[in-house]
Amino acid sequence: MRPIQLQNISISGTVRACRTADPPCDGVKETVLSGISDAEVLERYPRTAVDHDNKYFYQGLLERKLLVNRCNACGRWHQPPRPICPSCWSRDITATEVSGEGVIHLLIFLHQGPPAAGVDYATPHPVAVVELAEQEGLRFSTTIVNADRETLRIGLPVTLTWIERDGNPFPAFAPAAV
Amino acid sequence: MTRYPVKDKVAFAGTGATAFSRDSGERSQLSLCAEACTRAVENAGLTAADIDGIAGAVPIAYKVQSALGIPETTWWTSPPQEGSFVQVILEAMNAVYSGACNTVIAYHTFYRLPWASRAAAKDPFRRMLSITGGVSPAPEDVWGSVGYTAWASRYLYEYGASREDFGLVAVNSRSNAGRNPNAVMRSPIGMDDYLAARMIRWPLSLLDMDVPIDGAVAFVITTAERARDLPGRPVLIHAATAGVIDRNEEDQTPGLRNHGQRVTVETLRARSDLWLDDMDVYYPYDGFSFITLSWLEAIGLCGPGEAGAFIRDNWDDKTNSLVIHGKVPVNTHGGSLSEGGTQGAGHIREAVLQLRGEAGERQVLGANTAILTPGGFFFNAHGLVLRAE
Ligand SMILES: [Zn+2]
Repeated sequence: MRPIQLQNISISGTVRACRTADPPCDGVKETVLSGISDAEVLERYPRTAVDHDNKYFYQGLLERKLLVNRCNACGRWHQPPRPICPSCWSRDITATEVSGEGVIHLLIFLHQGPPAAGVDYATPHPVAVVELAEQEGLRFSTTIVNADRETLRIGLPVTLTWIERDGNPFPAFAPAAV
Repeated sequence: MTRYPVKDKVAFAGTGATAFSRDSGERSQLSLCAEACTRAVENAGLTAADIDGIAGAVPIAYKVQSALGIPETTWWTSPPQEGSFVQVILEAMNAVYSGACNTVIAYHTFYRLPWASRAAAKDPFRRMLSITGGVSPAPEDVWGSVGYTAWASRYLYEYGASREDFGLVAVNSRSNAGRNPNAVMRSPIGMDDYLAARMIRWPLSLLDMDVPIDGAVAFVITTAERARDLPGRPVLIHAATAGVIDRNEEDQTPGLRNHGQRVTVETLRARSDLWLDDMDVYYPYDGFSFITLSWLEAIGLCGPGEAGAFIRDNWDDKTNSLVIHGKVPVNTHGGSLSEGGTQGAGHIREAVLQLRGEAGERQVLGANTAILTPGGFFFNAHGLVLRAE
């Protein structure tokens, strides 16, 4: 693999580059910031379906970066992580850090659910689908912290914050500061 | 003009089912499936030797053929179960029409798995069925039940609807189940019972969700010509479709008015000569109460967000159920909410029984045309127009 500079993408004031083998580009490029191996990702997420398409997302989590795939050809973001751009069929994709700003689009409270560290359901567990500021319809599903249930509602602006689950950084959202 | 050459060319010629049960004890999926299949073939007035095509997800088709001693087949399919049973029906219809085979036995088996039922979790043989390769879901995984619940909350938010609107669907299903001896939940409920039910995932409670059951349903599907020579009344597949859009993930789908139901209705409407004014019975899916409200709106019975008001306006106090325009009952078998969770197979069976005049005490007199909209939003929305000859 001969790393070459493909393209710089400016996101929220930070500049990232992707690294790739010889052109033509094929597949998702790891971001240059990641020094985490595939083996470590698998070891840190033993009960998660990590694969070649979404491993960059989990590498990002371990570095407290929320990465969403973005197409280098047309600039569109897409979820969940895929090796091809659904908008233009380019395979030149970079897992790219998002700003962490968004709005609650869907919101529920689980009174029961699968076992998870730190979730006991005695207090109904909020699950939110957050529409990310980067693009209309681009969403990320997570929980909301640092908020009373009464204050949570669809339409509420929220900001990325990090909690811990099973010893790994976990991307949650909290109400945005007014 | 929409190209739809299969219109009225393929028919249901028989149907059979097991008893539906919240605990069938030590029966296997093959046991349930085989019983439903034999009943369906007998109902059609046929024998094993008349079947030359097999379609169903679980158990895999050739094992069902072997268990039933069906001597020779020329076509089979076992699509993934999550694709919904209607996909099996569509494939069987196309196979018969193309000539890949002449007479299909199509089946759907439903089986309580440990994650859905405490009783099932105690059965070590069932535990073996649910090993998922070591992958555990997270509470924040928005798919399946959680996905529908999330959009139910959006429905309340966008339209200013109330949980009582969901409750009307639950009450309708339960009232109708009282006339279905095979339904597992038959005791009547009212809105107070609905509102008092245990919350599972706000805004949906226990009575907003279908009941996990054991059982199987099967159908004999053949050419319209062949069906006319058999003892029962043929039920023609007049129009049928699936409907899926590109953004079909639960958390990424565009919105309440743009998902698989939109494509389903647009396509079904274009293919069918019969529509809402012609239907005698209607079967919208109700695996979650909220899905029914969405179908009523998507198919055009009322506008977006108006389903609750529409149901109230069309409520029949005598039967405590929805009767559209005083004429068209909805989910006459009690739906998945009260007959039991069949992933839509129960809806199709009920429509076929009604159109064949075999629905017993709940028979809708003069039922000739049924519209069915099985499935939800994301990858399993389907539509069918059936008519009796
Ligand atoms: Zn693109």
